[in-house]
Amino acid sequence: MKTVLTAVASVAILIVFLIIVFTLSSSWDAIGDVGILDFLFGTQWSPSSGAYGAAAIILGTLLVTLGAIAFAIPLGIGAAIYISEVANPKARNTLKLVCEIFAGIPSVVYGFFGLLVLLPLLQDIFQDQLVYSQSWLAGSILLGIMALPTVISVAEDAIHSVPQSYREASLAMGATRWETTIKVIVPAAISGITAAIILGIGRAIGETMAVMMVTGNATIFPDPIWNIFSLISTITGILALEVPEASVGDLHYSSLFLLAIVLMVMVLVINLASRIIIKRMKRKLGVEPPRQAIFFKIGLIPSQGSFGDWISEHKGIITAAFVYLCMLVFVWMMASLFTGDLTALIVSVVVTAVVFAVQKVFEKIDSTVKQQVAHGGLTVIMVVVILILIFIIGYILMNGLSAIDWEFLTGVPTNGGRDGGIGPAIVGTLELMAGTALISLPLGIFTGVYLAEYAKDTKLTKLIREAIDLLNGTPSIVFGLFGLAFFVRVLDFGVSMVAGWFVLAFMIMPVIIRTTEEALTAVPHDLREASMAMGASKWRTIVRVILPAAMGGVMTGTILSLGRAAGETAPIMFVAAVSSSTAPYADSIFDSVMALPFHLYYLATHVVGSDAMQYGTATVLLVIVLGMFAIATIIRNHYNKKVKW
Amino acid sequence: MKFGLFNKTEKPSSDPQSEEKAVQSPSAPRDKNTEEWENNGQFIFAEIPSDDIAIDIKGINLWYGEKQALYDVDLPVRRNAITALIGPSGCGKSTLLRSINRMNDLVDGCRIEGEMLFHGENLYDPDVDINSLRTRIGMIFQKPNPFPMTIRENITYGPKIHGIKDKKELNEIVERCLQQAALYDEVADRLDTSALGLSGGQQQRLCIARALSVNPEVILMDEPTSALDPIATSKIEDLALQLKKEYTVAIVTHNMQQASRIADYTGFMYLGKMIEFSETGKMFNKPIKAMTERYLTGRFG
Repeated sequence: MKTVLTAVASVAILIVFLIIVFTLSSSWDAIGDVGILDFLFGTQWSPSSGAYGAAAIILGTLLVTLGAIAFAIPLGIGAAIYISEVANPKARNTLKLVCEIFAGIPSVVYGFFGLLVLLPLLQDIFQDQLVYSQSWLAGSILLGIMALPTVISVAEDAIHSVPQSYREASLAMGATRWETTIKVIVPAAISGITAAIILGIGRAIGETMAVMMVTGNATIFPDPIWNIFSLISTITGILALEVPEASVGDLHYSSLFLLAIVLMVMVLVINLASRIIIKRMKRKLGVEPPRQAIFFKIGLIPSQGSFGDWISEHKGIITAAFVYLCMLVFVWMMASLFTGDLTALIVSVVVTAVVFAVQKVFEKIDSTVKQQVAHGGLTVIMVVVILILIFIIGYILMNGLSAIDWEFLTGVPTNGGRDGGIGPAIVGTLELMAGTALISLPLGIFTGVYLAEYAKDTKLTKLIREAIDLLNGTPSIVFGLFGLAFFVRVLDFGVSMVAGWFVLAFMIMPVIIRTTEEALTAVPHDLREASMAMGASKWRTIVRVILPAAMGGVMTGTILSLGRAAGETAPIMFVAAVSSSTAPYADSIFDSVMALPFHLYYLATHVVGSDAMQYGTATVLLVIVLGMFAIATIIRNHYNKKVKW
Repeated sequence: MKFGLFNKTEKPSSDPQSEEKAVQSPSAPRDKNTEEWENNGQFIFAEIPSDDIAIDIKGINLWYGEKQALYDVDLPVRRNAITALIGPSGCGKSTLLRSINRMNDLVDGCRIEGEMLFHGENLYDPDVDINSLRTRIGMIFQKPNPFPMTIRENITYGPKIHGIKDKKELNEIVERCLQQAALYDEVADRLDTSALGLSGGQQQRLCIARALSVNPEVILMDEPTSALDPIATSKIEDLALQLKKEYTVAIVTHNMQQASRIADYTGFMYLGKMIEFSETGKMFNKPIKAMTERYLTGRFG
């Protein structure tokens, strides 16, 4: 049995290997003909004239992500502190659940919301600044919202895991709860909070649908470079937009694959960074290396000598000066988008001075009042986060429910999608989910069993774990590209349901593996011993005792990841999904299918005058995805209550 | 005081406070020692002039949710002396100690009745400023819990919170507190390294130094040596004896010998009730209650 399980678990390595081989080989022409340096630093991206310089796209990706994280940090960290330190402990689980719902909303629904609500709203506010309705700002706001659940949940875990003894020690000395939070708890959790931010960046950078729908996908540099009202492009957006247009084998096709490799490297670096930081955090809660100013660490300034002493003596002032300088520059940049440079300078000086004064006053006031102000601010942040969520879901449901009737649910789209129904898309999504489950469940659960019950600390095990981590971090659009190169072209499945199954299955496999492994390791060892002591074989023990005991966790993870598969657009848009066809229902698994998320994307971006259909489709998609989320939550709560170790 | 378990049957000659709790109604305890308690309502057997009482705890009842953890506990904590609380696990000694600087406020569903007088003021008065209260009544915890900062930052944390900014003054505080905690010589050359690099015993002394940094009047110690080895333990005990010259110390210990070594007064608690409180020497040589004697001779607990 062990051999079989080892073989199944090794599939993860095989998948990673295939992804690397086929994206690399597909990008070979571009590496040769364009050249890596010209590709990375070339400023012109124009497939029609054969120019493939991706600098604007790569920079655009970074800028949009930067904006997103600037939006997500205050909201995310604030909400995390609120949930862990301010909220009633009883409310903690509920609030965390609410934040998880954010993560459950499909990317394409965010994009749809951005297109319909955010863009017009921004245009109303910044009518003089926005030339086009799409903008970098819109992309960043949307991505920021999407990164929120990652930031909140990781940061909250980090803050919550700071030992209670630190809180007690601080409070016992007469510090207020707020002073304790800001001076002891947050510094102690700073590595975890940093990891949360980095993971949030990783989430934002790999996101496709939402960002491509609101940024305009123009391969230009913003002018000036901080012009957040400019059109912009991201790697994911360009991939989603241009891959269907490129013909196989030409330089354009191959350049797009090279672009995907750049994206993968970026994500890889981000994930590595977060792993190192999390490892450091774990070490820190054991024994922390002495804290020194960052300057000493990188050897910029000698730690001995008068200058070094001067630096460490005035560490606080230097940091503060640096922060205020950054703020001055930032405010000037933003203000200069609205007025002349000189006025902007005055504005920025005034704003910085006001902030400085407010901070000075804040330092003086009574610490109890300070706590009230701070906790009030955190509460406001939490409320804003929840309101955003309620608004997104509520807005779509309010407009969508009226569009839904029997004909809409069962009918075939007519008039280019403006009339009729979405029956084939619903059926297609269900078919995709069924096939995905069929492939990913055995692979995922068996691998999870292998890792939890059989795996020794061998090289193979390590390699499998690395492969799973890699798969988990791979942006969904890269799965789509891989599917296109491998299943559609090499295996010659064509754009088909079965290609979609495999791509989605590979995409959600890491989550199923991880939750299965976690659930199995949580089963107490006594149970294993009890069963084996009666002469049951190891495999029999697993099947009859361990797996049933871990069923709650396994099912929760499986349903959640299937829900995610149901909402994904990017991976299936090249390999399985079509907008509408003469035969909307697939006859065989080698036919292409319609799918709800892709249908929504298609209607929202290609079909003018299909508003009611769009809202209806978004509503049905939301109901399916959030319904699965609810089922998973109910199962989890049920098992949590029933099984207590 | 309807939850009281002790019936006053004899009037104590030595204790002026016990008159105040003359009437306590019996309820229906399930324990086999009920009879003895009911026959001996008195449990304060030490004479402390009321001027010398730093904290006067009177008739404290405490509940965690539905569960009552303390029953009508009295405890006079004498100024510039060490008061020890002993008793088997779960007897409520830590709960009592933690309620003195209101750390129990952090526990969800904790409710308390009764009086704790500190400078004539009830600590549980609604308009007591809890933060300044905790500044005046410091606490040392079971496990050493230095902050993950440098040694210096650990000690300057409290003073900075309370508004001291002057570098020189802070440095003086660091030195004074470390001296008082008998740690200065060991760490003088590495004040700016992480406090987590210290040994367990050093960490606990650092925590004591940290508690001293805000000039408390009373120091509560919650089993401060239970995580330490014998040598580190004896250092902390010596330190406690030094500290009582300037501070009032109340210590919870699971170790009877520790109480007999350092405490001036000892209270024995059982199942949330104060069984006997008297001078340490008296209690260990000739305990008044039979139950105290059984505990001290190791026949239960």
